[in-house]
Amino acid sequence: MESVIAILPLLIKMAVIVAVLLLLPMPLTWLERKIAGHIQQRPGPMRVGWHGVLQPVADAIKLLTKEDHIPAEADRLLFKIAPIVALVPPFVVFVAIPFGEPVQMFGTEVTLSLSNMNVGLLFILAVSGIGVFGIILAGWASNSKYAVLGSLRSIAQMISYEIPMGFSVIGVVMLAGSMNLFDIVARQDGLWNIVYQPIGFFVFFVAGLAEAQRIPFDLPEAEGDLGAGYHTEYSGIRFSFFMLAEYLVVVVLAILNVILFFGGWQGTPPLVNPILWFFLKVGFFIWVFMWFRFTFPRYRYDQLMTIGWKVLLPLSLVNILVSGFFMF
Amino acid sequence: MARTMTNKSGWIGKVFFLDLLHGLSLTLRYMFARTVTHMYPDHEKWIPYSRHRGHHFIKTNDEGDVNCVACELCSKICPCDCIIVIPFEDAKGNRRPQVFDIDLARCLYCGLCEDACPADAIKLGQEYEISATTTEALVVHLEDLIAAPGKAENGGQVMPAKLITPDKTALKKTGKDTRTHSVTVEGTLKAAEGYDWWQRIRK
Ligand code: SF4
Ligand code: SF4
Repeated sequence: MESVIAILPLLIKMAVIVAVLLLLPMPLTWLERKIAGHIQQRPGPMRVGWHGVLQPVADAIKLLTKEDHIPAEADRLLFKIAPIVALVPPFVVFVAIPFGEPVQMFGTEVTLSLSNMNVGLLFILAVSGIGVFGIILAGWASNSKYAVLGSLRSIAQMISYEIPMGFSVIGVVMLAGSMNLFDIVARQDGLWNIVYQPIGFFVFFVAGLAEAQRIPFDLPEAEGDLGAGYHTEYSGIRFSFFMLAEYLVVVVLAILNVILFFGGWQGTPPLVNPILWFFLKVGFFIWVFMWFRFTFPRYRYDQLMTIGWKVLLPLSLVNILVSGFFMF
Repeated sequence: MARTMTNKSGWIGKVFFLDLLHGLSLTLRYMFARTVTHMYPDHEKWIPYSRHRGHHFIKTNDEGDVNCVACELCSKICPCDCIIVIPFEDAKGNRRPQVFDIDLARCLYCGLCEDACPADAIKLGQEYEISATTTEALVVHLEDLIAAPGKAENGGQVMPAKLITPDKTALKKTGKDTRTHSVTVEGTLKAAEGYDWWQRIRK
């Protein structure tokens, strides 16, 4: 009985996080289409519900009722598990993500994270790197040239951008002296890390865009040249798994940007709940990602590699050197 | 072009991504600008300028006869070969068209028929909601052309409008619908130039 009571808050937190994450892409697709519309001076979805707010529901119904097609020549087992493999890592990442200071609830102290890991940051980077497996499997299993090309591109891209991404957060880790995300946020009590680590932020942001395969680095699913890249052959519910994974990666990135460089829940203006403040910042970053998406054209593939290896990697190394020098 | 531009902004522009920032500021401005979408056909309808070349109509004179003298000039000049005119002599002894068909599906709305007409008969009006489920239905005849709406005095405005759809229940009961699809304009057109949407979004 004792152990059940101990584990109950954890189970509740897990249920809440999973439910929120499964539903989160709905408002995000709506937001994305609205932003796309307004950037192009059209109102976006307007028909379903007030200003199209129920459009994602209609989309979900459409996706769920669509034929689930598997190409005849595809590797059926891999084809079926690939969307799940792609979807799991973004969920797992949320194990290590803190959402705020512990709060008092029903007389007990509830921590706003599933686990307070000492290597939280490392865990997040490692797990989000696994996401590429789903893409590789999807591309390979589809037995289609566009899908394979898309997944090849995404492997190369993820591997090249994982390195500057990992290096860019080292500065933050050095400042906090810890990989624990709570510590990193606590360290930014006075000034946010963006002040100390502007280059680190820049590298992290750009590498993050590439990791999430957002425009201007969305080569794995470049609509213009690859059909839809690795999920060309997917339809219905399996396709929506990939979409879900993509949106969750965007959310994870926004959260990481806020935690690592924009002080997490620190610096809350008076009268605002710190947790709300945290989510406002996350929302702002999600909006920025969408704004970027509808502003920039796609980079060419060699340019992408050049930016990754010749610009971001040296920059992140210089950043480590300089921050080490200042701290010394 | 691209090279001269990077040279101009120089390395400072490159380091701080001035070109990217410029693009971002532009889209940010557009994000909060007015949308240009017309809520057609639900709430609004664009009334074209009177110079608009839309659905043809044929003018009639004071006696109620058509102005057309069936000279077939319009049919000759038409680049799409879509006008068929067959003349006959009416009871008053005038040469008039017996058949006057225009295939609106082939017409490119160039307005040459209007220019060629010596009798001020055929004109292109403002009507642009021309759609049908078969191409045959797009061939309009003399009666349709006489009945078609003429040129409106004013145009170039977005008017509040309402979409009217066929009455489904009446269709089931009687087998034919009393109403057809149409977008009716509510209110009267302003005499002034009206809604200059291009200027308004450029503000
Ligand atoms: S508008 Fe041009 S294409 Fe159309 S009927 Fe007249 S002459 Fe022919
Ligand atoms: S509409 Fe004009 S051009 Fe055409 S047949 Fe009649 S009079 Fe001649």
